[in-house]
Amino acid sequence: MQANLTNSEAPPIMDERIAIFSGAEKRSDQWTLLLIAVGQKRDRAAFAQLFKHFGPLLKGFAHAARNEGWFPGLGDDLVQEVMIKVWQKAHGFNAEKASATTWIYTVARNCRIDMLRRKSNTQHLPLENEDFWSEPDEETPISILQQKRSEDRVQTALAQLPKEQDEILRKVYLEGKSHAEASEELGLPLGTVKSRVRLALQKMQIMISAEEQE
Amino acid sequence: MNNSTNFHPTDSMLIEFSAGSLGVAPSICVSAHLHFCASCRAQLKRLDQVGGQLLGASNSFAVDDDAFDKLMEKIDRAEEPVAQENSNRKMPFSVNKLLSKALVKDSWQRLTSSVAIARFRTGQEEFEVALHKIFAGGKTPKHDHHGLEYTVVLKGSFSDEHAVYREGDFLVRKPGDIHQPMGANNGDCICLSALSAPIKLTNPLGFLMQPWLRINPM
Repeated sequence: MQANLTNSEAPPIMDERIAIFSGAEKRSDQWTLLLIAVGQKRDRAAFAQLFKHFGPLLKGFAHAARNEGWFPGLGDDLVQEVMIKVWQKAHGFNAEKASATTWIYTVARNCRIDMLRRKSNTQHLPLENEDFWSEPDEETPISILQQKRSEDRVQTALAQLPKEQDEILRKVYLEGKSHAEASEELGLPLGTVKSRVRLALQKMQIMISAEEQE
Repeated sequence: MNNSTNFHPTDSMLIEFSAGSLGVAPSICVSAHLHFCASCRAQLKRLDQVGGQLLGASNSFAVDDDAFDKLMEKIDRAEEPVAQENSNRKMPFSVNKLLSKALVKDSWQRLTSSVAIARFRTGQEEFEVALHKIFAGGKTPKHDHHGLEYTVVLKGSFSDEHAVYREGDFLVRKPGDIHQPMGANNGDCICLSALSAPIKLTNPLGFLMQPWLRINPM
């Protein structure tokens, strides 16, 4: 033991978490670090922090849905179901592929669809939405830092979108409206909705081409 | 998992897939295509980031004080799920799931001398979702489409008067399209398809097959 260790002020738990990474990757976002700790060490304190942050957001995500099958208790049920999945699947989380926020979004999206379908459909559903999502290993994984930069870019671009484009993206992603449903609701032609979504994504550099690829 | 696919879902389909508003049957086909197509996977990844950022910036609603304790109780009671091994890595994850959970019958059913079908139960009534096998060198009856048909080539290749379609290619046939797919000579071709309405055979003898090809959503 070296004497100068006594001067260390960092809480030991954070030391340990940061030790997983090296160099620039330390700057990865805190939710991603917490999710890694849950996956690799079944860290309950980290999980509690994730719950505190994402619980209310997931409830908001449930309340935003206006699809068939919506019911008042959806919010609380979704929070529970998504967070159970987060705990159980965290070991498969790969920070080189997605940030915690994006990863949890995909879990929440699939859960929300399944819960709404179960409510609105009396038929036995042999498949869950999760069954449609595979995660093939990417040939060229990007570093956690690149991942972080790319998420930051999306965040900044989102904040700069004109109102009209921001609204349509929220309708599509948060309310879960198909393009056809959005067009009906807004009283706009389907083509206008498609091009508005595309324009927003193009401005954010998510989508490269200006034309619909057929 | 190469990136040699030439035919892809439209951007709008990928956006709806990422947002979760695409129907079950088209989602199954898009997900099968993603298995083969690195460029669509990369695009989807970017689209999912938009969903993530929107979730992160969405309105939050207070959760009950005891919600976390309830959650941990549930987690402690639950068994840890065994990570499932993908049974056949050459097939898309979604197709393996369909094969293990949703087959109507365990064996292929012959539609014609050159085509066999294996139907899936997918809990929706808009589309019939099935695997089609076109035997090597087999010629399918010339037919046109009354509804939409999505097709993803899973194994081998087939061709029609327009092009050759290879593993991973994603095709959309719209009402009014007429075509006559032909299996490649060097092996059977297996396709996943979602069909929204009966296809009508244009061959004068084709009426014999009509009952077989009638849409049969499960």
